[in-house]
Amino acid sequence: MADPAYSALRKMLLDEITPVVMVLPTPLVEERCQKNGLSFVQMLTPFCVFNNIDVPVRTASDQPYRLQKFKLRMVYASDVRQPNVEVTKERLKQVITDAGNIEDSDLYLEPSSIETISTSSQPDFVPTWFQFFNKEFVRSVSFSDHEAFDHPVACLLVVSSNDKDPINKFVDLFNMNQLPPLLNEGAMDPKIPKVFVLLHDNQDGSSERASKILAEMRNTFGANDCRLLCINSLQDGAPAHEPNPWEFYMPNASPDQNLGRLLNKEDVDELRDFVRDVSSKDIIPNMEQRIRVLNQQVSATRKGFRNQIKNLWWRKGKEDAPENQTVNMYTFSSIESQIRVLGDYAFMLRDYELALSNYRLLSTDYKLDKAWKRYAGVQEMMGLTYFMLNQSKKDAEYCMENAFTTYLRIGTSGKGNATRCGLWWVEMLKATGQYKEAAGVYFRISGEEPLHSAVMLEQASYCYLLAKPIMLRKYGFHLILSGDLYNKCDQIKHAIRAYRNALSVFKGTTWSHIRDHVHFHIGQWYASLGRFDVAMKHMLEIVACSHQSQPMQELFMKNFFQILQKTGKTYKIPRLQLPIVNISSLNIVSEDHRTYGSPAAVSVKESIWQHLEEEMVPSLTNAKTTWLDLQSKLLPNKLKQSNVCVAGEALKVEIAFKNPLQLSIPISSVTLMCEYSPNEPQPDASSSANQTVEDGKTNSDTSFFTLSEVDITLEGGETTLAELSVVPRIEGRLKVTGVSWKLSDSMIGYYNFEPDLIKKRISKGRRKAKQTTNKLEFLVIKSLPRLEGIINNLPTTVYAGNLQRLSLQLKNSSDIPVKNLKMKISHPRFLNIGNPETVNVDFPACLEKQKTSSNKDKDIDTTKKSESVFHFPEDTVIHKENTFVLPLWFRAATPGNVSLYLTVYYEVEDKSTAMRYRTLRTHHILEVLPSLDVSFNISPCPSKLQEYIVRMDVINKGLKSLKLRQLSSVGSEWQISLIESIQDLIPSGNLVPGQALSAFLKLKIANKTETETDVWLGHGGGGAVFDTRRAPLVNFHHYEQLSQKTSRQEHESTVDFMLISEMESETENQPPQIFSHHACHCSVSTKRPIWWLLDGPKIIHYNFTNSLCETKLKMTIHNSSSFPSSITINTFDSPPGTSISSGNKVGWHDMSSTPSEPRVPPPESAKAVVLESVPPFIWTGSSTTHVKLGPNSTTEVWLLVTTFAPGTYDLSNYSLHWSLVGCGDVREKEGWYLEFDNFMKKSGFRRREVDRGCYVKNLRSFYIILELKGDVVGSDT
Amino acid sequence: MIVCIAVVGHQNNPLYIQSFTEADDALKLHHIVHCSLDVVDERVNNPKKSGPMINETFLGLLYPTENYKVYGYLTNTKVKFILVTTDLDVRDADVRNFFRRFHSAYLDAVSNPFHVPGKKITSKTFAERVSNIVKSVSFNTAG
Repeated sequence: MADPAYSALRKMLLDEITPVVMVLPTPLVEERCQKNGLSFVQMLTPFCVFNNIDVPVRTASDQPYRLQKFKLRMVYASDVRQPNVEVTKERLKQVITDAGNIEDSDLYLEPSSIETISTSSQPDFVPTWFQFFNKEFVRSVSFSDHEAFDHPVACLLVVSSNDKDPINKFVDLFNMNQLPPLLNEGAMDPKIPKVFVLLHDNQDGSSERASKILAEMRNTFGANDCRLLCINSLQDGAPAHEPNPWEFYMPNASPDQNLGRLLNKEDVDELRDFVRDVSSKDIIPNMEQRIRVLNQQVSATRKGFRNQIKNLWWRKGKEDAPENQTVNMYTFSSIESQIRVLGDYAFMLRDYELALSNYRLLSTDYKLDKAWKRYAGVQEMMGLTYFMLNQSKKDAEYCMENAFTTYLRIGTSGKGNATRCGLWWVEMLKATGQYKEAAGVYFRISGEEPLHSAVMLEQASYCYLLAKPIMLRKYGFHLILSGDLYNKCDQIKHAIRAYRNALSVFKGTTWSHIRDHVHFHIGQWYASLGRFDVAMKHMLEIVACSHQSQPMQELFMKNFFQILQKTGKTYKIPRLQLPIVNISSLNIVSEDHRTYGSPAAVSVKESIWQHLEEEMVPSLTNAKTTWLDLQSKLLPNKLKQSNVCVAGEALKVEIAFKNPLQLSIPISSVTLMCEYSPNEPQPDASSSANQTVEDGKTNSDTSFFTLSEVDITLEGGETTLAELSVVPRIEGRLKVTGVSWKLSDSMIGYYNFEPDLIKKRISKGRRKAKQTTNKLEFLVIKSLPRLEGIINNLPTTVYAGNLQRLSLQLKNSSDIPVKNLKMKISHPRFLNIGNPETVNVDFPACLEKQKTSSNKDKDIDTTKKSESVFHFPEDTVIHKENTFVLPLWFRAATPGNVSLYLTVYYEVEDKSTAMRYRTLRTHHILEVLPSLDVSFNISPCPSKLQEYIVRMDVINKGLKSLKLRQLSSVGSEWQISLIESIQDLIPSGNLVPGQALSAFLKLKIANKTETETDVWLGHGGGGAVFDTRRAPLVNFHHYEQLSQKTSRQEHESTVDFMLISEMESETENQPPQIFSHHACHCSVSTKRPIWWLLDGPKIIHYNFTNSLCETKLKMTIHNSSSFPSSITINTFDSPPGTSISSGNKVGWHDMSSTPSEPRVPPPESAKAVVLESVPPFIWTGSSTTHVKLGPNSTTEVWLLVTTFAPGTYDLSNYSLHWSLVGCGDVREKEGWYLEFDNFMKKSGFRRREVDRGCYVKNLRSFYIILELKGDVVGSDT
Repeated sequence: MIVCIAVVGHQNNPLYIQSFTEADDALKLHHIVHCSLDVVDERVNNPKKSGPMINETFLGLLYPTENYKVYGYLTNTKVKFILVTTDLDVRDADVRNFFRRFHSAYLDAVSNPFHVPGKKITSKTFAERVSNIVKSVSFNTAG
């Protein structure tokens, strides 16, 4: 019987299912009792529990057994009725509210983690008030007419000794009219045993009157049933009860009430003895008696085979009766009620076997009668009896379930009973460890009443927690459900508790929707309770709710800011997730000896700068010996590695903030967090110096540095790069520790940069960051001069070829002057340095050819020292006040986006500083639009050797019309002239966008005396022609030449052209924009390497009478190839082959009819033209002439022809053979071919030996790449 | 009608959860799916209850709530598929068939080299395919 696992329910049943004693006191009795602050029932209650009553009990069986534990329930007669529904509800609500208030204190403590909960035993975490609540709940459905265990077993009639006419009072008390409905309506036997009690208050006087009345009573009611009870013996009311027996039963009483203050020890003992006597001598024997009587009756009518048959038949007959009679069908005298009473009495007296057999009997009856409520009640009792008997667990559960479902089936009237039944069932399941099932039952109990459901669901959740295996998710879910219901009933504290417990399940999981919901609600509830600090803790969890929908985010944010405002505190949250700091975007720009002119310059790869500065700055080894030697005194060795920054110069930090939300959030006061510490003392420093240093160590005082503040507004999902800066003020060490920002006035987020993090990132290979962010610690050195340079008027968009005059302005804001300036430009093609002495010149007039060529100012001729560094004039020193202006020439060389890098090196005059030199790096990006496209095609002049026809094709690809101005051949070797007037070609003089122009020019090698290298193309008369041999045009041309250099040999004869055009500037009264287009290395060589020309007098007047006519002919041979050639000239006197002219034409012909055409270029070799068999002329001199001709040279060969008669002769019967020495395949050495061949070979093609026109390339590597790419792409699609 | 379909990783982390209702009941469905994991765990840990087939991936009806039925499916990699439906009269074979199709869609989604295992499935193709499957399946045995 004493199985500890069963204790919970067993205790509960032993408490609840106990005999009820109805108490009927007179008002005077109550008054006397109230002196103690207690009612009569309350006064007796502590003594109604007996742990060792030791009463022998004999029920139906003959074997008596002893009852040890026993309990009576004392109830006022007025309370013996079904409690009012509304009242019960209120009372239950009160219970819950009270419980919530009691728990108030630990509501704000950190909830214990789920791990500790599951290991600890049950009472530690299941709120204790559940037990109390359940008990209250069970009580709420007591005194039902379908059950007998709540029916009073006895009646206590109490009359005070001060009452007048006490005997009559006793009679009056048991008046039917005042009795509870159970007795009046016939549900129970009104003839219950009565006990007549006379209460005597000792304060009212001696007990003589009392004993007199008692004697009278004994006469009237019989000796056994009358008792005297004396109380209030104590006069002055000293609190003598330790422990106070009433305290436990009246927890709501305040301690100053001093319960039972007039009761002395004897009174208490008397009370105890009284109750004990009543129960052992009256109640229990009476119940025994009743059981025996009833048992006999039941056996007589129902036991045995005959009775059963009879019963069945009888019941069958009753089936026709209408069912609505069932309610009042069973009076106390009906056999069913008697069986029930028998069962309940047996149950109360612990004769469970007897009880069970009767319940069984009864349940079939009720089932047949379809009296469902009674049936359910009996089933319920059967289940409990099975449980108490500790046998047949399955039966017990089956009965409980049966009862439960039956109660539910009968509708609202059974709901309360169903709940009670469920609670018992749950306890039963819990007792056997079936927590999961218990949770299910709890879930089923939870009805429509939200508050009850909340409690039940919470209990269910604890069952899930206790279940094996543990069902955490269901635990969480049920807690959430119950929390919601609590919230609905305004039980905020309970709701918070439920949610907080649930949080332990969802914390750390990725179920962010649920987690956010929980945090959000807890936060809100705490806020509604005024606990904003705790609320804030939860609200912070949901700020980064990027996965939520936009309305949710808005809601969250709104509440977040509301609560934040109400807290009135300032929060400093590390790693606040709103906005998210993208640490990988951290970029710190410090300027040591490198200074940057613009942010764009910072982002340029360090290698570009290094390459640019290579020649200017002292070399690395040099530097080490020079300025580090110098510094070794200034800087401790330890710090050599750290980054250097200069006091007074901003340290720029870029960091990206990402807004995870879809809403825009304003953040303000984004600033860096820095720490300043003075330089560590020198090792040899004196101790006094040490102390002073220690005083100011790691000081974050802002006087050491100045921080910038930025306000930004992040749109939804936006990432913004914040540029922050810190300006160190004095020397020392500065450490950038993090970044902080204000989300609102009272919410500060900060993010600490961890050096490890950054280092790791660098090791991953971000080279750009390496220079700037490998350490967040900087050595601040003494303030240094810093040059600032800007290029004035540098256009951002410009047309190709545009020539502009700019100036570089260098400013020094420091007091210390800088000197020894050097400069280098990455693209000399675009930017050229003008003469520093001529700052103010008239552009473009300065380009014009000076008439007096004597005072040619020596512009800086960069052509001589190409690719090298520009040294500023020796005496250039930039002071604080003066600005140094250096003229620059700019020409947009090629279309496209161009990055110009400019670096200026300068040295600091002050030798004491740590850095001797610094560099200023500026970076300019410009967009160059296409304008004119010029191409030249040179073909040899057919009529003259060393003269060429040049076809110039110009097309305007720009968006604006241009005016051609001048075409020049650069240098003095070539002379050009127009063949036709330019006005005929473009009458307007303007080349509108898209317009193309072709012009033919004549080109010849200039003779020494006069060089007409320029052609005026402009409209109208000759304007001033620009001098192409002067800076800046010649400089730019030089770089153009370099960049347009082809693979061809240098000594090939080429022409460089420069086309100068102008564009009307947009603003009035501005000089037109000048454009120059350069076409370099236009080759005059052609495909044929050897050129020759046979020339002689066209008409000779000769007298043939004297002798034959000998004519000297000059053959000029020119080798334009780059190889020496050997040439053979053969003459034929008797030309073989067919004759061209007719046979009868002998001698001189009409001159006009056949003009001599000796210069028809033979395609491959000279072809002999055959005349008649008898030649009219003969070649004299040697018939074969050999000539060796060097590359690019010309020679003359004299040939002699002798004619015999006058006439017109075709002197074409000679042949000229040449071969180029030093190359096998002449054709392959041709320029275009070579170029093509070279290109193909460079591209990796192999030329096939068999078919030399075919290039083959092994494409296998391509296949691999393609395969790779194809793989990736293929699987994606 | 299928209300919700979810993929839950082997550490019970949600990989994909999609509801097919117009109402704003995402939270509720999250709860249902989350809760059903307890049942999945229970089924997996007590194999004797999970049916005769030892390699059966289909877990059957996990638990019926008032309005929904929840079905489960467990892949070999301990990834769970949870199906929440409002249809009360559902044949197991239909659900099984649905899960099979869903499984293949899932396989294709995670086979994407750009998918990080254990991270949420963000593929639009997958979402589209799933919604197609959901649309095409009707558990209504009457229809």
